[in-house]
Amino acid sequence: MSHTHSHGKPGADTHHKAAPMVEEITDYEVLEIAVRELAIEHGLFTAEDHRRFTEWAESIGPAAGSRLVAKAWTDPAFKARALKDGVKACKEIGVDWAEPTGVGTPSDYMEFHVLEDTPTLHHVIVCTLCSCYPRPLLGMSPEWYRTTNYRRRLVRWPRQVLAEFGLILPPEVEVRVEDSNQKCRFMVLPVRPKGTENWTEEQLEAIVTRDCMIGVALPKPGRTADVHPIQKARRPVESSHQEAK
Amino acid sequence: MSVDRIALLETTRNQDKTWEALAPHYGVTNPNPPWKTSLTAMCDCLAVNGALPALDRRKAEDELAETLYSDIPSPERELLALVHTMVSRGLVTEADLASRMSMVRARLETV
Repeated sequence: MSHTHSHGKPGADTHHKAAPMVEEITDYEVLEIAVRELAIEHGLFTAEDHRRFTEWAESIGPAAGSRLVAKAWTDPAFKARALKDGVKACKEIGVDWAEPTGVGTPSDYMEFHVLEDTPTLHHVIVCTLCSCYPRPLLGMSPEWYRTTNYRRRLVRWPRQVLAEFGLILPPEVEVRVEDSNQKCRFMVLPVRPKGTENWTEEQLEAIVTRDCMIGVALPKPGRTADVHPIQKARRPVESSHQEAK
Repeated sequence: MSVDRIALLETTRNQDKTWEALAPHYGVTNPNPPWKTSLTAMCDCLAVNGALPALDRRKAEDELAETLYSDIPSPERELLALVHTMVSRGLVTEADLASRMSMVRARLETV
């Protein structure tokens, strides 16, 4: 289905093209709805629970973690509090681990530790057992974090795996892998990079990306996004969405 | 954890209909299908309410991801593994699921 919308006065030249979408109903989509409806009917959870968790999952991202790091870089007293009691310090930046969704914790975790990097010590986090991740601070985990490839290999060959992310650390830097679990979550407090001496917290937040707080990248001026390859269409469809060239 | 095949899921799985295959075909750049967040929320709900603890789900998913569904990418693999685990544990039955899927598809195709 392809269509355009018109807004404003009749005849006004305000047409725009709708973004492309997958225009078919797959069995996967149908399966997800079907199993959810049955689970609700069987009393495994309520529709209200599901709505709240969905809203929460949609609302979280790495911004809170970036805020924590920027504040720790600019406020030594806050940094000391964050290193001493991560859960308590998070409340200062508006994140309550006890009630992140307003209906209880998404998993059974209530311990959170901030891992401080130094010029000679680098941390990186993983969950070898499953996919535990500090979601209230970093949002949903990236797909690669949940792969058995990352989970198994990072603990055995951390430098090799980090190099695959483009992070090559000199031998004098010790690499420490912290394994998350259902009861305890971690995030990395990277070293504040050179060239950011007079920056505001807001400027600093922009360079503290998700990957920096996992430990597979380092913050630096000018790097404000975790860049990953973009999938290109293998068999693009002809449609009115594409401009004639 | 049973890794026996479930007939309904064998007919549901389709490599050509995963988001990874369909999104580039339609020129869609969103990395995840619209139902991905709902799936995540469902896993959270099942864990919080005790029906399917997160660790049990992940263990089963790891096993199924390396066996029955190794050729299906994420998040479809997560969905198949979750449903497989729910059926194996008797949380839903295959017959109920098949019937509900027919109803859902009919509903979605009604315009």
